[in-house]
Amino acid sequence: MKLTRKELLVGGAAGAALGAAGIYELVDKLADSSPSRAAAADEPEQHLVNGLRVEKKEGVEVVVPLRHHEVVTARVVAAEDQLVDARAALAAVLTRLDADYPATPDGLAVTVAWGLPYFQSYVPEAARVHLPFDRRARKEALLDSVRFPSDPDDTILEDNHVAFLLRSDNEENIRTAATEIAERMKGALAVTSIRKGFAGQMDGGMGLPKEMATAAGVPGADLIPDGSELFLGFTSTQRNALGPTKIVNFETLGLVDLGPRSYFHGGTHMHLSHIFEDLEAWYLNQDFRDRVNTTFRPRMLVRPGTQTVAQPPSRVSSVSEVRRDYDRFGIIGHSSSLQPATRLQEDVLGSDGTLYRKGTAIPQRADFNTLDNPFFWSANPKRDRMGEGPAAGLHFVVFNPTSDDFHRNRRAMDGHMPGGEKLQFAPRAAGQGFNSILKTTHRQNFLVPPRRHRSFPLVEL
Amino acid sequence: MAALALVASGCSGNESKPAAAAETKPATCPQSWKAGWQRVANRIHAVVYCPTWMPSPIDGKIGGQWDNGVSVERDKSYLVSFLWHEPPSQDVHVNFRGYPGRTKIPRCEDTEVVGGKVRTTHMPCFSDPHGKRHLGGITATMYTVNRGVDTWHLLYAWHDHGSLYTVSEHVILPLTYAKVVNNLDRMVRGLVRVKPTN
Repeated sequence: MKLTRKELLVGGAAGAALGAAGIYELVDKLADSSPSRAAAADEPEQHLVNGLRVEKKEGVEVVVPLRHHEVVTARVVAAEDQLVDARAALAAVLTRLDADYPATPDGLAVTVAWGLPYFQSYVPEAARVHLPFDRRARKEALLDSVRFPSDPDDTILEDNHVAFLLRSDNEENIRTAATEIAERMKGALAVTSIRKGFAGQMDGGMGLPKEMATAAGVPGADLIPDGSELFLGFTSTQRNALGPTKIVNFETLGLVDLGPRSYFHGGTHMHLSHIFEDLEAWYLNQDFRDRVNTTFRPRMLVRPGTQTVAQPPSRVSSVSEVRRDYDRFGIIGHSSSLQPATRLQEDVLGSDGTLYRKGTAIPQRADFNTLDNPFFWSANPKRDRMGEGPAAGLHFVVFNPTSDDFHRNRRAMDGHMPGGEKLQFAPRAAGQGFNSILKTTHRQNFLVPPRRHRSFPLVEL
Repeated sequence: MAALALVASGCSGNESKPAAAAETKPATCPQSWKAGWQRVANRIHAVVYCPTWMPSPIDGKIGGQWDNGVSVERDKSYLVSFLWHEPPSQDVHVNFRGYPGRTKIPRCEDTEVVGGKVRTTHMPCFSDPHGKRHLGGITATMYTVNRGVDTWHLLYAWHDHGSLYTVSEHVILPLTYAKVVNNLDRMVRGLVRVKPTN
């Protein structure tokens, strides 16, 4: 299937872009009809999606990702004396969306996340008192984003005030919600970017990543293995590789001091970045064995063609194992280098009463494939370096208990181990996991308030 | 390794004329290309494969305008390369190889510096097989990950009387993966054997 000009090009104002599907119209044409899934009650947490399906793929339990994803970022443009009204208006839109759509794959999951510039510009006094504090890092739980050693020098560290993450198996639900929010909040919020994408459909066919990339004419698309969940050919939503539901809540693991009123109890932290993926380099320079070494760990035994690799708590890599791989092979695998930072190093009894076992994953990833270059739409195309035509990439969305926790995870990917040891690699070296084929264009950290405070948090105090 | 110097030639035009006019496979190596391929066959005392069609703008004339070098190793394995390069980064690059008397995929060496130490690793020169293709009388395996001068190329490899032969083309602008597959299909379909005469 080839793309029409309408599917390739989206320009004009944010309103038009929010109502347009562009290339992503193809997702529903290429995918099977959505499976019906059980509805469930809304949780106090905004970042959770109810009713996610778990399937076995190659004998491994895999969480079926939502098909359509969209992130809309914005700046607050309301005058300070209008913030209380703006808060009420946004709360009303979100409440109506909650009523119209269950927070399930068939319905709509809306997550509203607020950036540090919002707290610093609009509610600095309240933020000083109520923003969660990371006890381990001895810093605020929400920090400015940083460039990591493997990031290009020109990675843009963004300063959006707010991000809306919209997820559903039904693209129309997302378009309707995004348009409603933008229209109702006109004069209070100005959209800065729109980012769209999709996640793999695991029906045994060619799979959405390959079909979409091929339709878009992305270099390397033909080499994506049939049925893969992501452009890079491996499954990333193994149940064991994703944090259990409430583990990333500020309060759960005890990393965070929630302040005098526990205002952000039930909230979490979100990192958002955009990453270009060089599919030709991945598939023409690295054979299957190299790709397993790079994605998981050197010399991991898997059958040729395997896409889904079990990552159980009992087989989590330790710092010494990562170090040993580095010494023997000059390589660290992506998963193995992350695990000393992303998996619990001991049993932890969470504040929710759950006993989280050693080896349990902490981050909850919500990343999705994209053909944005780098965004679907930008209010500032020059600054965001908007390119012509589609490009393979990833909008990386992940929930962690704090900014510092995410930063520790991401540094581990570059060979900076918990405990401070730095495995020496040139930036984006071939031995340094995925980094040689990734190029991060944008980054920002956000705070995700609990549902009750998701609209202009702290303004009412 | 003995590398023959590139021989400048008169312009042969932008088309690969010998076979461009006809899709049917010619019975012999094109007249203007044959001398060079015969010299290689005689030098290694084994059969070589001469192309009868090449992707535009290059042709298959050894010593011609697009000749990128011929090398023969001590074990008589050979590499014949043709290249069109348009700065900054457009190529049409085709390599022909032969390994007389052996069918095993050769090993390539890779050296990199990690943590201040030089690491040398050995790996198959051609890997990630992507199925077999029946083209003319040749049954070739397509490899998508290749090393050395075949890096970033798609490569077709086949056996003939106990010897391994390959042809590869670079996946790079102005070509796409699909176009390179088409080119390789057409090149391999048109290959003719040239026997040594000495």
